Amino acid sequence: MILQHFENQESGIMNAIRENPESASPRKKLALETARLGKRLYSNTDDLVWAGPLIPFDLLNAMDVTPAFAEFIASILVSTDAGPLFFENAEQAGYASDTCGYHRMLMGSALKGMIPTPKLLISAMSPCTGGLAAMENLARVFKKDLFILHIPQKESDHGVRILADHIRDMAESVSSHTGKVLDNDRLRKAMENTNKTREILSDIYTLAQQVPSPVNGRDLSNFGIVLPLFFGTEVGIEIAQAFYDELKSRIKANRSGVPGERIRLMWLQNRIQFKNNLVKMLEKEFNASIVVDELNVITWDPIDPEDPYIGLARRSISSPLNGTVERRVKQIVKLAEAYKIDGAINPCHWGCRQGTGARGLIDSRMKEIGVPVLNLEVDCVDPRNFAEGQLITRIEAFMEMIESRPSPW
Amino acid sequence: MIVAGVDVGSLSGETVILRDGEILSYSIVRTGADSALTAKKATDEALKNADISFQDIEYIIATGYGRVIVPFANENITEISCHAKGANYLFPTVRTILDMGGQDCKAIRCNEAGKVTNFAMNDKCAAGTGRFCEVMADVLGIPLEDIGKTSLEAKKDAMISSACAVFAKSEAVSLLRSGVPKSEILSGVHEAIASRVFALLQRVGIESDFVISGGIAKNIGVIKKVAEKVGLKPLISEEPQIVGALGAALFAKERYKKG
Repeated sequence: MILQHFENQESGIMNAIRENPESASPRKKLALETARLGKRLYSNTDDLVWAGPLIPFDLLNAMDVTPAFAEFIASILVSTDAGPLFFENAEQAGYASDTCGYHRMLMGSALKGMIPTPKLLISAMSPCTGGLAAMENLARVFKKDLFILHIPQKESDHGVRILADHIRDMAESVSSHTGKVLDNDRLRKAMENTNKTREILSDIYTLAQQVPSPVNGRDLSNFGIVLPLFFGTEVGIEIAQAFYDELKSRIKANRSGVPGERIRLMWLQNRIQFKNNLVKMLEKEFNASIVVDELNVITWDPIDPEDPYIGLARRSISSPLNGTVERRVKQIVKLAEAYKIDGAINPCHWGCRQGTGARGLIDSRMKEIGVPVLNLEVDCVDPRNFAEGQLITRIEAFMEMIESRPSPW
Repeated sequence: MIVAGVDVGSLSGETVILRDGEILSYSIVRTGADSALTAKKATDEALKNADISFQDIEYIIATGYGRVIVPFANENITEISCHAKGANYLFPTVRTILDMGGQDCKAIRCNEAGKVTNFAMNDKCAAGTGRFCEVMADVLGIPLEDIGKTSLEAKKDAMISSACAVFAKSEAVSLLRSGVPKSEILSGVHEAIASRVFALLQRVGIESDFVISGGIAKNIGVIKKVAEKVGLKPLISEEPQIVGALGAALFAKERYKKG
């Protein structure tokens, strides 16, 4: 059933582009590649490793092991017809309904045998212990081993060295569970690809900062979370390049992402993963554009292809999802200034303690630079908890407030 | 110039008609299942009170939960902006507003021009709203308009959870069965409401003058509890239920002038 979903998605996009080549867009390219990845995950042909956030997917790609990114698969399953059933399955099995929807979705679908069996599971200790618990549960359902990656909270040379060694251990574990050997030349090539993707990403984010921005609120949604799945591959470079070219051509044509852009917004943490009208409503009613997502950011230096483990370790430690709230807040403020945003929307994803625990600190630091934050209460994954009318009132009032105050810039 | 503001809330609908910036008439009607009909009913009543016809109104702004389904409105604006605007008209020194409506409550901060500078609303729960009070009045068999007065007779507060209106109702039933006086249960209910709305107010920061609007402003039991927590005497207009519609009417006046 899920394989069918991905096959339909792939053929649907390809047919649409064949029939109307002008309809090709970078967003479609990304959707096509994620459908192909989904197909590989469900085709029973690849060696799969389940992995959570902050795991170096490029290392897995270099080993020809397909990364099954847990939160990514959960968000895909939400959009299938069976999505609500999986949530019910999880709750029937005893998972509390106020825990994170990503993890409930994974557990519900695993219990129904609707997610593919991996050779191994890998989870980091951060960003969330709920995610680790979900992976432990999945490992039990699959009767497979779980490798836990300990990511230091602070970036220090000592911490980086320890994590680098630990990532090496991880690669060995993947090797022993899949039989795939990590070839040095392939690893070097993968790192070169990662660096190339990083460079284009950096250019994309620089373009997005322009006023008015060439991006609309949909172009780069989930971008910083999904693209790492393709790190280390040629496809990753192609996707990034397609986005860069599109933004460049919009700028050349003097076309902003949202026509007549008046309000620039930042979306904190993760987007709402099921179909909803909020972003379009922002564009249509207020000419407001989400010009930046908190997780669309590069916090790491290029990786030395000759000594990749150190660079990979630094990258994982530097993620805004890792470490103290203070570090996260600093990063958010930096983005707010770079993108000259008028306001930020924090969905405060239901059940996410890591995400919502920082709410007050984010508010007060943003207030210092004159940027208001709207805190919502959204279950970003489970549409059964979605009260669109109530959210619209809060968002509209926030927009009215922003419109009636001077820009912080 | 005659303009109107229509506030379609979850429990009641109000229309305020302004002539040259002064209140000409207003109405308050109970909300039915059909928001458009509620808006029409409220507006018809206000027109009747003003002794004018619909054609006399030059611009109409709708607000409230049902604002998008008022077919005869020229525009709609959220109740958050409208409450700030309306409160500022009635009390120009207002800086903090607590609006306790039928299904939600909001803490709003505004500037000297009545523009919203910050706001916070209740989360996914009806505790602290008009519906919560209605449910409690019903459980205890006391008319809604009397619960405030009754609660003031209590010698102490019964402990009521502020987390969920449905659970709070069950708690009230158990307390009743164990012989706790109704006044103490109501006082506990009001304490729970006050504690929730105080948290909202603190999120936006409290600065005087402090205004309470919305239907619950008529409940003296809640007002007393909120005032104790906030430490400020709240300003309450003669008819606190029409503040949102008044704000909408004031916006209508501004927008019509702008053309």
